[in-house]
Amino acid sequence: MQNQPHAAPLAAGKGLTMPKMLGVAAFLAFVFAAVPMFIAATGRWDFYYTLTSVALLSIGAAGVWLTFYIGRINIGQGAYALAGGYVSAVLITQAGVSFWLTLPLAGLFCALISVLIGLPILRLRGVYFAMVTLVLTEVARLTALALPVTNGAKGITSIPLPGGVSVFGITLIPDFATLQNPRQAFYFAAIGLMILVYVILWRIVNSRLGHLCRSLQQNEELSASIGVNTAWLRIMAYAISSFFGGVAGAMFVSISQSIYPSSFVVQDSVNFMLYCFLGGLGYVFGPMLGTLLLYFGWDLLSVAGKYQLLIYSGAMITLMLVLPNGVLSLFDRKGGGK
Amino acid sequence: MEQIIANGLYLGAQYALIALGLTLIFSLMNVLNFAHGQMYVLGGFVCYTVVAQLGMPFIVGLVASALVLAVLGGLIERFLFRPVIRRSKRDESTMLLAAGIAFFLDAVILLLFGEKQRGVPKVVNGVFNWDFRIIMPYDRILIGMLAIGLIVAFILFMQYSKAGRAMRALAQDRVAAQLMGVDVDRYSMIGFAMGAMLAGLVGALLVTITGVNLGMGGPTSIKAFLMIMIGGAGVISGAIAGGFILGMMESVGLSVLSSYGDVTYLVIFATLMIFLAIRPQGLMGKPWG
Amino acid sequence: MLRRSFLKSTALAAVATLALIPAAHAENAKLKIGFVGVTSGPAAAWGISNQRSMEARAAWLNELGGVQIGDTTYDVQIVAFDDQKDPKRAIAGMEKMAQDGVHYVVGPNVDDGAAAVRPVAEQKGIIYFPYAFPKTLYVAPASNAILGMVANYQSGPAIYKYLMENKGVKKVAFVAANESDPLSQRDSGIEAAKALGLEVVSDKVTYQVDTTDFTPVLLPVLQAQPDLLVLSGVSPANAPQLIRSARELGYEGLISTETAQDASVLAEGAGDLAEGFISVGGASTEELASDAMREFVERYTKMFGEYNDESNTKVYALEYIIETLKANPAAISDVEEFKKTIDTFEAPNPFMVGDAKLRYVGESSFGQKRQLSVPLVVNEYRGGKFETLFVAEVD
Repeated sequence: MQNQPHAAPLAAGKGLTMPKMLGVAAFLAFVFAAVPMFIAATGRWDFYYTLTSVALLSIGAAGVWLTFYIGRINIGQGAYALAGGYVSAVLITQAGVSFWLTLPLAGLFCALISVLIGLPILRLRGVYFAMVTLVLTEVARLTALALPVTNGAKGITSIPLPGGVSVFGITLIPDFATLQNPRQAFYFAAIGLMILVYVILWRIVNSRLGHLCRSLQQNEELSASIGVNTAWLRIMAYAISSFFGGVAGAMFVSISQSIYPSSFVVQDSVNFMLYCFLGGLGYVFGPMLGTLLLYFGWDLLSVAGKYQLLIYSGAMITLMLVLPNGVLSLFDRKGGGK
Repeated sequence: MEQIIANGLYLGAQYALIALGLTLIFSLMNVLNFAHGQMYVLGGFVCYTVVAQLGMPFIVGLVASALVLAVLGGLIERFLFRPVIRRSKRDESTMLLAAGIAFFLDAVILLLFGEKQRGVPKVVNGVFNWDFRIIMPYDRILIGMLAIGLIVAFILFMQYSKAGRAMRALAQDRVAAQLMGVDVDRYSMIGFAMGAMLAGLVGALLVTITGVNLGMGGPTSIKAFLMIMIGGAGVISGAIAGGFILGMMESVGLSVLSSYGDVTYLVIFATLMIFLAIRPQGLMGKPWG
Repeated sequence: MLRRSFLKSTALAAVATLALIPAAHAENAKLKIGFVGVTSGPAAAWGISNQRSMEARAAWLNELGGVQIGDTTYDVQIVAFDDQKDPKRAIAGMEKMAQDGVHYVVGPNVDDGAAAVRPVAEQKGIIYFPYAFPKTLYVAPASNAILGMVANYQSGPAIYKYLMENKGVKKVAFVAANESDPLSQRDSGIEAAKALGLEVVSDKVTYQVDTTDFTPVLLPVLQAQPDLLVLSGVSPANAPQLIRSARELGYEGLISTETAQDASVLAEGAGDLAEGFISVGGASTEELASDAMREFVERYTKMFGEYNDESNTKVYALEYIIETLKANPAAISDVEEFKKTIDTFEAPNPFMVGDAKLRYVGESSFGQKRQLSVPLVVNEYRGGKFETLFVAEVD
């Protein structure tokens, strides 16, 4: 059953067709124009942070989705988000590096350690890989508690807001500390980052690399036997995945302006995975939708008081019963999915 | 030294019993039951209600927990896992369902039993003290013995009963078992009910010693995952071995590494990761579980 | 089927309660006070006792006709948000409070959450009352956080000193869970003990919060033969198990903690073995509780079925907010006014007998008044309930 091939409409499409271009344009218009207008009109300024969180978490989830794509259940993204957060926090507070520079550095650092960790553990499959990554999150937390550079249990606090970036006197990014509404700026930054990540993900899936990954998901021995360098492919996918995790973590830290060993824990790792499941493993944009539904859903349910968790989990179970292949499987053409 | 081994054995016995239920469910249905820890907590609370609130003897609480959890497990398999497994394209999808059930049980436990730590009075009083070399309260010895007794009973059941044999056949090869006339649906349901029952039994046993609170669910699941990974997923002897090994590791690790403080658990977990990287299928598991 | 009807009925109940709350007291204006903390999952006990204290007190005040601030009479409404002990969620909770026009928020319950909400609180003009101890939250330039209870680096020295003088304690050992809050508390406890001239014989042992058997954890600690075993930042769930394991291993010295505990939890989890256990609480012991405190406990029990002794310290934050607003009605929408009032504010403490006062303290710890003066009541567990060992005050 694990090896059953399946069509992925959004993933399998080749090239940009006209309707797709329109869809992308509509999405861009929605997130960059419609959402801010809606917020300005209704005065729901708190949505900015919620949507920023959704954007950042869906970046992490995109990484998890990519490891699913090579047939690995990744419950360790929290570890990389935490590592990325610490890299950014340490560089900003101790070396005075600009936040915007620490963002890719955090990602690269995570990609690097993920290669070291991935070399041995990517040989594992199924639940074994899942469990090792789960333990990895706990290891990351305990490491953060034990290392001197992370300031141990006391965490790193009072991290300054992202500074400005200007090239030849032209301000590309304004200094967040001077802004009237930094929440809005964070929203735009996070959404921009998210779009970038999903474009990259979409490109990967539709490239030769993506096809090879899919062959891995379906039958690893077979792809190895026809000359696919499976080890390299796995490491590559895992490193990209961890890069995303690190970036998401670093960005979060700039918003909370603090980081603790408990900033990303096992629960976050599990959540990243759940976002992917809920959206649908066969769809590139599944993790984005899954994050939106699960994260935003919890916030909206806070009106239910003490029944919040009950309704939330009840809805999750119901959704799974109705759409076991993820929400996006709703849009599968009839018979095309089986 | 004797004390460390005694502690390890006691921990190991309770861990092994937790791991058994989880591995049974995994071997039959390839489902990693994220809600296993919550079932354990629920068992503890049922026993607490029967013993501490209703004033019944401990053994009644034990039986009540086993029954409630068995029924719950059966229902969960029949109405939740079975339809989802049938319709989903990838086995892993059941993880979301299991996680949803875990959250749901957490919510129900909070609403029904409250947020406080609960415990029932000691079953037997007194402390066994062998010249200060081994100190072990009698109730711990009793619970440890009961746990080992249950493990033995479980093994005998799986080995010699008709249902046990059918489940082992199912675990080995689902399709072949079906072709040989094993009622797959029926035994999946029985297996899930048994797995849940085991979780409930451990919860009920331990409520007399460690007590129970709603937060124990998630971490217990993760510990149980670790144990079945050490021993090999889906293998009964592996779960028992995994339970005892983890118990021993904690007991020895905490003593040997106590002067290094904060890194004790880091070392334990890192060792586990390295072990699994070297031996991916655990001690006795089928490769690629 | 069963589950579905259960869901349906709970959903109905939820809708019903939502619909009923605003209808009950339609005549008065609303004074919204927020709570952002953890009310589900492993640490639920902390936040729930917090939220319930607030709700019980608010219901009581509203029943009396509301609170008069300036010329207006308000009904107190508690707006609660469950952050699941996740700092990312805590920020969302604080944003939601700002959205609802709430200026005074009780919580979060843990260090990381309290640090994470600081930017929002300062930008949106919210004063918040965390139950977290890091000094950076309260020392300038931070100015919007007010510590809601006695910090362990304040209560610890008082307890150790008392035990040195009265019980002849010389050697002390620390054990803590390997999480941020307990570890920070352990470190400051060690510092305080050393400053008092105590010998710290064991300070490295930690445990995972999900430990089910503490015997291996405590074995090396007790081999160091301390006179006093300090359970730093211990959660109410772990405390009885630790006490029980220590006693069963033959430990005969004292055991103490600087966090609030619940007597019935200790009774169930450790029974007689918990005799003499020292912890910190509010003014709920027989000797100190005023009639108002007794009535509060009664009302809380009636509303939620069971009282939680942790609420003894958690009843105060709401009282302080309301009393300070009464003293300066302009603060109702302007936290800068509130901060001005902090320095001079004083009102009688309704929950304690005698002439105890509600006032803001913290000068010596934080350099500015950013702490509620909650009576530092050190309790001893005796025969199923807490008895006052001694009472101190923080300055």
